Amino acid sequence: MSNDRNVKKKKRDRVGVVLYTGYLLFLLATMVLIAKLVWIQVGYKPDPKIKDALTPQVTTEDLDPLRGNIVDCKGRILAMSCPIYEIHMDCTVRKSEFANAKREKLSTAKDQNERDRIIAHYDSLEQKWLTKARALSAELTKVYPEKTADEFYRLIRDGRENNRKYVKLGEPVDRNTYKLMLGFPLFDEGSNKGGLIVKERYVRRYPYGELARRTIGFVRNNTDAEVTNNHVGIEGKFDYVLHGRTGHESFRTTDAFKKIHDNDSSYVQPRDGQDVHLTLDVDFQELADKALRTQLDSDRVVNETCLVLMEVRTGAIKAMVNLKRNPKTGAFEETQNVAIGHKAEPGSVFKTVTLMSVLNDKYIKDLDTTLPATNGKIEGTSIPADIHIPDFARQHGTNRISVIDGFKISSNYVYGTLAVKYYTKHADKFFDHIYEYKLGDAFDFDLDGLAKPTIPARETEGRYKGSWTPTTLGSVGYGYATEETPLHILTFYNAIANKGKSMKPYLVESLGDGGNGSSKRGPSVLNSSICSPAVADTLNRALLAVTSDGTAKWSLRGVKCNVAGKTGTSFGTFPKDERGASAYEDKSGRRKYQGTFVGYFPAECPKYSVICSIYTDPVGHSSAHQGGGIPAKAVKMLIDGIFNIDPSLAETVSRVEKDEQR
Amino acid sequence: MKKERVRKWKLSNIGEFLRNSLMAILKGEFLLRLNVGRYLIHIIYTFVLFTLVIWVSFMIDNTMVKVENNKKTLEDLKAANLQKTYEYVSLTRRSTVGRTLEMMGSEVREASRPAKVLE
Repeated sequence: MSNDRNVKKKKRDRVGVVLYTGYLLFLLATMVLIAKLVWIQVGYKPDPKIKDALTPQVTTEDLDPLRGNIVDCKGRILAMSCPIYEIHMDCTVRKSEFANAKREKLSTAKDQNERDRIIAHYDSLEQKWLTKARALSAELTKVYPEKTADEFYRLIRDGRENNRKYVKLGEPVDRNTYKLMLGFPLFDEGSNKGGLIVKERYVRRYPYGELARRTIGFVRNNTDAEVTNNHVGIEGKFDYVLHGRTGHESFRTTDAFKKIHDNDSSYVQPRDGQDVHLTLDVDFQELADKALRTQLDSDRVVNETCLVLMEVRTGAIKAMVNLKRNPKTGAFEETQNVAIGHKAEPGSVFKTVTLMSVLNDKYIKDLDTTLPATNGKIEGTSIPADIHIPDFARQHGTNRISVIDGFKISSNYVYGTLAVKYYTKHADKFFDHIYEYKLGDAFDFDLDGLAKPTIPARETEGRYKGSWTPTTLGSVGYGYATEETPLHILTFYNAIANKGKSMKPYLVESLGDGGNGSSKRGPSVLNSSICSPAVADTLNRALLAVTSDGTAKWSLRGVKCNVAGKTGTSFGTFPKDERGASAYEDKSGRRKYQGTFVGYFPAECPKYSVICSIYTDPVGHSSAHQGGGIPAKAVKMLIDGIFNIDPSLAETVSRVEKDEQR
Repeated sequence: MKKERVRKWKLSNIGEFLRNSLMAILKGEFLLRLNVGRYLIHIIYTFVLFTLVIWVSFMIDNTMVKVENNKKTLEDLKAANLQKTYEYVSLTRRSTVGRTLEMMGSEVREASRPAKVLE
């Protein structure tokens, strides 16, 4: 019997016991786990700070789109966005770390020696940090030379003493400088040990400097009440294209406290802004800028000026220079769009309007039609006599002057007489012509701010309200009593070059990158025929006479191709209390010159039209500031420069001829 | 004919059930008595799936962290590209090219005559 019991005891094996023990332990652990789970779900209230720290946060960030570029007709970038970096410093880094560690060690120090050792150790750590700060200051002065190394060190040290966590070190820097600064002492240890705080933002940069800056414009993002216009130039007008669309992205924190994209929240992809392609050619723009600045180099009187180059066939503006003198520095800067915003009495360049009108209406057959050349007084008006007429009569031994001669010497008498003689009874017809030639309205343009011309009109009859007299009509005939912008005048002359077809000036060729989303803008017609081709040819002859034998002869001498054009000189008016003998001169007899030269080239087959206008401060008599002076010379310099580089104006030689020449 | 006995549950039966269940748990026979042995592989498979899902979530999070780091690198490269583009375009200005050529001792200058185009 006892043997059976022993055998039974032996059959109870060790493996079974071990497994059963393991099973019991797991069972116990499971019970504890279940109890703990129930306790956490039901009874446990965590510390709110720990709860916030451990609860995954979902944050939403705006994704800024990249602003589109502004490019010229050949794809060269005129304006683009570039990153800049604002450099700040947290001067208190590691200060509390050293202080806390020191306090902790001191609390467990056994004796005074150990306490002294601990204090010396942490003081030396603080001193090492300050030594690195001094080395950093020496490097910072290379980037910001306006401050010395000592000044930078004092800034950092004082910031550390006063617990300043966001100290601005200097102006924002570009990417190359930022990468260089990352290697400076302290900064190379990162933001936690070195205190470097960097904020990246994008700003607009202009690779070609000041060229066409006013045309390109800008968008101001401030709310300064003194500034009313925050959207200027192409940047302002086409901000809706350039800006793009802001996106949104949500992020959550992983268990390892890293930030990743949250797939459960909505995501809006940012859409970068589209490019704006201009008609400007930056080479021509540079030539125009240089031509104008060269002529103004030693001038102290010109206040504002503009030079605009347009393609005859399409109306595309190839160059637009707008310069205004800075009153503080005296330098010319692109700060105001003179070409479209400055309207003034155009002067003699408006005589072509009168000539075109009388030719269109067939009041004169040709340019050889003559008028009496006696005393230069326009009959029926109170306009002062033109003193050039008696001089002409004496020099040429005649008492008649032809329309073309009057054009060459820019006679107010001839063109005032034409306007008064043929349009006194039908003034509406004359003003209708002005509106047909698109000189009466501000048409839709690619820049905001195109001024509306001022045209005088009659009060009682016709479509025009206002008051005029034959004197006014005569004044309009030779370019006074109206106000036009340089762009309006250029558009008119461009139409003459284009055989009577008036093209609307435009700056923007297309929007987008040429793909599916792009939209093409382009040439459009203002008036398909302001005059017949025959009249245009007649006017061309008159304009050629001005440049070859008239008021622009000397300034355009030696120009590399034939230019047809007209000079114009008018004067600005003075306030009543400053006037002298007339509204156009002050008490010292000084005048505010407004000189213009407008024309097109090559005259035989016009490709480009051009206008240059200058506006001066009060000055004594000055031929340099008349239309045949600075404006004509600037245009000549521009034409010579374009002729050298534009292959379409180059001479074509057949290969056979070239081989024969060899 | 045998009559089918209809079992009636009493309160004491619940106590007996609980006692039997506890004893089975202590002996390690609870699941066997419920006859879930044939589903053991499914239970193990379920736990393997749970483990895989948790592991794959960790892997996804790690990959997403890499994606974010790569995005930052891309942004940095874009910024570098923009800066280089600006510098390059600035160098193409006509007057800058002329000055650079002169500085480098080149005899190339701006054209003083137009080119002749050969037909």
